[in-house]
Amino acid sequence: MLRYILKRLMIMLVTLWIIVTLTFILMVSIPGSPFNSERGTNEAVQANLEAHYNLDEPYIIQYLLYLKSIVTFDFGPSIKQPSQTVNDMLGRGFPISFELGIMTIIVAVISGVTLGVFAALKHNNVIDYLAMGFAVLGISIPNFVLATLLIQQLAVNLEIFPVARWLSPAHMILPITALATGPMAIIARLTRSTMLEVLTQDYIKMARAKGLSPWKIIIKHALKNALLPVVTIMGTLLASILTGTFVIEKIFAVPGMGKYFVESINQRDYPVIMGTTVFYSSFLIIMLFLVDIAYGILDPRIKIHKKGGE
Amino acid sequence: MKKKWLLFIAVSFIIFVLAACTANENAGEEQPESNAEGDTTEEAGGEEKILKLNNQQEPTSFDPAIGFDSVSWNPLNNLLEGLTRLDSSHQPQPAMAEEWEVSEDGKTYTFHLRENANWSNGDPVVAEDFVYAWKRLLDPETGSSAAFLGYFIKGGEAFNNGEGSVEDLGLTAVDEKTFKVELESPTGYFLHVVTNPAFFPVNHKVAEENPEWHAEASSFVANGPFKLESWEHDSEMVFAKNEEYWDAENVPLDGVEWAMVNEINTEYQMFERGDLDATEIPAEMSDQLIDGENVQIVDQGGLDFYRFNVTEEPFQNKKIRQAFALAVNRQNIAEFVVKNKVEPAYGFVSPGFENPSGEDFRDVNDELVEFNPEKAKQLLEEGMKEEGYDELPAITLSYNTDDVNKAVAEALQGMFSENLGVEVTLENTEWNVFQEDQKALEHQLSRSSFLYDYADPVNFLESFITGSYMNRTGWSNESYDELITKIKAEADEEKRWEYMYEAEKLLAEEMPAFPVRYYNQVEILQEGITNLVRHPVGYLELKHTDKQ
Repeated sequence: MLRYILKRLMIMLVTLWIIVTLTFILMVSIPGSPFNSERGTNEAVQANLEAHYNLDEPYIIQYLLYLKSIVTFDFGPSIKQPSQTVNDMLGRGFPISFELGIMTIIVAVISGVTLGVFAALKHNNVIDYLAMGFAVLGISIPNFVLATLLIQQLAVNLEIFPVARWLSPAHMILPITALATGPMAIIARLTRSTMLEVLTQDYIKMARAKGLSPWKIIIKHALKNALLPVVTIMGTLLASILTGTFVIEKIFAVPGMGKYFVESINQRDYPVIMGTTVFYSSFLIIMLFLVDIAYGILDPRIKIHKKGGE
Repeated sequence: MKKKWLLFIAVSFIIFVLAACTANENAGEEQPESNAEGDTTEEAGGEEKILKLNNQQEPTSFDPAIGFDSVSWNPLNNLLEGLTRLDSSHQPQPAMAEEWEVSEDGKTYTFHLRENANWSNGDPVVAEDFVYAWKRLLDPETGSSAAFLGYFIKGGEAFNNGEGSVEDLGLTAVDEKTFKVELESPTGYFLHVVTNPAFFPVNHKVAEENPEWHAEASSFVANGPFKLESWEHDSEMVFAKNEEYWDAENVPLDGVEWAMVNEINTEYQMFERGDLDATEIPAEMSDQLIDGENVQIVDQGGLDFYRFNVTEEPFQNKKIRQAFALAVNRQNIAEFVVKNKVEPAYGFVSPGFENPSGEDFRDVNDELVEFNPEKAKQLLEEGMKEEGYDELPAITLSYNTDDVNKAVAEALQGMFSENLGVEVTLENTEWNVFQEDQKALEHQLSRSSFLYDYADPVNFLESFITGSYMNRTGWSNESYDELITKIKAEADEEKRWEYMYEAEKLLAEEMPAFPVRYYNQVEILQEGITNLVRHPVGYLELKHTDKQ
């Protein structure tokens, strides 16, 4: 187990290094400059600015400077908002995105699994069709459309919830709903199909024959195995939702970190591009690693320590 | 073993979630509480007037030398105050400077600061505050995008280029309240220029102690109508009336709350719900809303135009350039494509600049670029004959990716096809790439925009001098360069304006670029909001804004 973890850690570091290098190459190869602005700046001023941010150095030096900033986890000030460091931005935005994300995941998992289980139990019944119809809607309506609809109906017309911003628990309900609907639908469909499969297995029949109560069978025997595919998609889902979503955060004016991914690229804000990429990829890699470990624990058919020894 | 692992993961997950939730609850509570406290204390003293606005984004910076864009200027113009301040008809009025003298040759300005001008921490505003701020603006180490505005100051350009030294700058603090500025040449609009936030003073005592004074509300010192009470980055700013402000008795508002909502539909929905006092109009709702009540439409100094690349075929030919310019039906573009009551541009300099006798530049020079399809067709034929073309070389029209730009580009494509029989290909690129290509003269015909930094036509006109980084057409004309030099050196205002009329006419004749439309600023205000002034040069004025 320990050997396996060490090996995985090494691979993770190498992956991260490859990501950083690729990001740097892509970053310097897109045309444009952080100092382009609608109000023009002349060449002398531009040169001053470039010198100020070491952008006049050869690429290899810039690359080494970036590597250094990653090792020390200090990405320096943003070019576009010089009084803010990248660490400030991540430190401020991530907790908010994380909060929104974690609640979204909880809502999505609980409602998705419930929906899926009911649909599977009432297979080919009205409830099944309703639940799956709902899930299909959830997958096919883009979350930004849902968000706008929710705001218009529940906030502007009925005045139940606030329109936007991130100030009180009431402000969180609409963005969570908009964000959770898609993942919920995916989880519901996954749960339903694996649940149907599991329910036909011999050990379930065995449990039934033993005379266990139906709920005990479902929760203790069936659901545990039916959830494995859900755990598989959790890694990517967690990483993408916890680090913020550009569109939903923009629509609801949530001050999370989602916007930095997109805006830093539009503005060629190099330190922010690097900071967000490193942050997101480390997060994703760690999440995937945790999912693998969790998988090994949940599913005895996968033996981690044996794999590690191969 | 397995169970233990599971338990461990489950427990840590729950702790994680709880931690996140409790952190949030506290954060959620703190704010309303402090707000509520503020409310009660102030309400006890009478009705309090808090204006609720949206700044779209986090300001780039409240460092006057760095924040060079409207998201910084709109708030900053109400926190700090320069030597002069624009009034509601956009003319500079005495502000930090109570009065001033201008030397005979128009090159030396001596400003006398108000005795009762103080910073929000109680320090007096002194001449040294201006000297400090302006030196910083020009210092190449600062890396200011606005530094070129300070090139009017003697030695400014040299210092910023790294050729001169800080000692040679024409900035002197004669005594505590007297500030002397020497200029490179007489600059008739200097009092306009210094209203720009780049020329705001900085409390030098505070800044020397803490160079990051402008980054947080706790360390920010203001000398304008409002002070910065709180600032939650990326989320919200709260301004309170600055009681130390010299003219505080004429500031009707008690405070301003700024949201940062960067989505125009959300902004409009918040306005509908009453969470904001002003909103822009979402493009798709323009037809419905533009004629409604409480819609405020004001000019914005600037021009939406297209640049020709005169170094590439076929636009090296003047007549072909003129033909393309005359084939554009600007009225239709403004009315049916862009909408929102924008004005079609028949000249380059936007309306709103008054000459010394009070006439508008635009009225004097009138319409210089007309819509005339017959003449356009004729010019195209003549031009093609001059160049010996049987067929026009392929033309690509480029624009930066944006819904409005796309609609205008498609309209232009249709007009060139209909009025000239020329098929142009459209091409769009992302804004930043587009800028680079345009500077490198890699386009043939490309969308451009200009926004004024200060209220004088020369700000735009000088873009087209030979080799200017704003030129981007490859066009070079000796008499035009000469005119701009004269404009910059002329002390007699009447004469200077004559040169500017001449320069614009020459531009329209040579047509290295053609105008499409002027910009405007459109917003809907809640009932009872008065005197919310947006200056054409792009900053917001809340000094006299009132809320009933």
